[in-house]
Amino acid sequence: MVLAFFRGGSSDGSFDAIVARSIGMLSDARHSFDLATLALLTETDAETVANDIRETDQRINTAEQELRSELVVHVTVQGNADIGSVLGFTLLIKKIERIGDQAKNVLDLAESGVSLVDSADIDELLLGRQIVSRLFVDAAELLGDSDASDSAVDEFADRALEIAANHQQKIDGFMTSTQPGHEVVPLAIYYRYLRRIVMNLIGVVRTSGEPIPHVDYAAEGTVDLDD
Amino acid sequence: MTKTTTREIPGYIQSAIVVSLIYFFLVGVSSLETGIKILGSDTQESLFSAASNPIAALCIGVLGTVLVQSSSASTSVIVGLVASGALGVDDAVPMIMGANIGTTVTNTLVSLGHIRQSGEFRRAFAAAAVHDFFNVLAVMILLPLELAFGIISSVAEWVSGRLVGTAGTEWKSPVKVWVKEPVGWIQSFWEAVGATDGFRGVLMIGTGLVIILLALTLITRNMRALVADRVERAVNALLSRGGGVVAIVIGAIITVAVQSSSITTSILIPLAGAGVITLRNAYPVTLGANIGTTITALLASLAASSPESLTVALAHTTFNIYGIAVLYGLPFLRDIPIRLAEGLAGLAVKNGSAAVAYVVFSFVVLPLIGVVILG
Repeated sequence: MVLAFFRGGSSDGSFDAIVARSIGMLSDARHSFDLATLALLTETDAETVANDIRETDQRINTAEQELRSELVVHVTVQGNADIGSVLGFTLLIKKIERIGDQAKNVLDLAESGVSLVDSADIDELLLGRQIVSRLFVDAAELLGDSDASDSAVDEFADRALEIAANHQQKIDGFMTSTQPGHEVVPLAIYYRYLRRIVMNLIGVVRTSGEPIPHVDYAAEGTVDLDD
Repeated sequence: MTKTTTREIPGYIQSAIVVSLIYFFLVGVSSLETGIKILGSDTQESLFSAASNPIAALCIGVLGTVLVQSSSASTSVIVGLVASGALGVDDAVPMIMGANIGTTVTNTLVSLGHIRQSGEFRRAFAAAAVHDFFNVLAVMILLPLELAFGIISSVAEWVSGRLVGTAGTEWKSPVKVWVKEPVGWIQSFWEAVGATDGFRGVLMIGTGLVIILLALTLITRNMRALVADRVERAVNALLSRGGGVVAIVIGAIITVAVQSSSITTSILIPLAGAGVITLRNAYPVTLGANIGTTITALLASLAASSPESLTVALAHTTFNIYGIAVLYGLPFLRDIPIRLAEGLAGLAVKNGSAAVAYVVFSFVVLPLIGVVILG
């Protein structure tokens, strides 16, 4: 612990460590999402992945709490030069923690006995799972790239918004569907979780670069993006 | 996507600035010593006669440190006074103890900034008060023992004797030689403007004090920027592993690096207020800061010409090590400063003006009464 003082580092190395841990949280959240959706969309037994997901969620929660402390330490030691980034990251890590919770919600769905393996839309559901899982990777890359351009962030946000709009369209369709409730309700709930995960991923990417007052709002603060 | 603010001045330039500032600091100490010597023994005696009473000397140490908000500065001045022969080691040791108490005012003032949020204020004020109580208790235990048996000064004298020679001898400090020339320039300058002996002494003292305060302020500011990332890593490591002896070591290292115990302890206050660090874990860090801050007086003693100046600087270190050994080393005493701090913080939360009154009374009124009555 004493040696921590004598280790070398770059001038803003301390914030790099916070970014790296946030990316680690995102990677854990993706792990939970992949496992939970596996339990819901394939023959995988929910019980075999439940412990892993809960342990990962615990790890995400612990990381969030530790990162909050590290952010307070950062602003206390370094002064208020990074205050915007510190406030942004406080919001950002909460979003990642929520994604972890939403992945757990998908597991809850599987554990309550729901299985979408036999759904008529299973191919589309599996493809959608892959697309969302890929979004996690892209979000992590953008988060870790201090030179990422605004256009790269906008491209990600536009792509993710399109996916979220598609999820909303599905949900709206289920609301007026004539199919039996036991078929459409789990799908509507699942798509609702997917939409929330995607919106939070947009938030993760945009929070680190947006002006603090406009975080979670588009069009200069006039459109609420939070879900 | 994350863009943080980077330091504008390269590290090696900042390091060179710090080395230069340390040199100016040593010039300041030597100017002070020279100025007091110029004043002559009669003036010295009348100026420092108040310090012959140990309680008055203690109060002078508190007031002087509260005034400059830095025990590093006040103890460096005390070292300069001892080096000039104006102040004896026995009179200087209580002053040094007073400086230890006086330096805690800074983080207590910082904690008052949290007064509007009761939960936050309770934690922040307790973290500040634990340092106050520890230092006061250390003085209450060790000052009588020092006065009766010389337990601090005898150890300091023994170490000093082994390092640079016994009291009364002339110590040929190499640093003293390096700073001799600029001190001569300052003296020549005041001679050139027509200052007579006594007044020239006062001007030399004034110049020395200004240089010491300015150099220490700039050293602290530069070092803080230079080692901020390291301090951040060390504090994060501390948060993940808790307190104890390692926290004392980290507190000492951070304080040596930034040359200010006030910086170290003041960093802890917002962290304690936010609940990031517990009072129990902040407490040993402040004790480490007590030890770390003694490095400045040790540095100042390098520019002085008598072994007594090193003895006083070592007495500062010895006092703080003894304090930790007794109050933190003995488990049944360890929690007393914590309990007192929590109790005072509870009262402060109920009545914010009581917290302000505590600061004014403890750090200004009480020491002033001590100086006026006993000095």
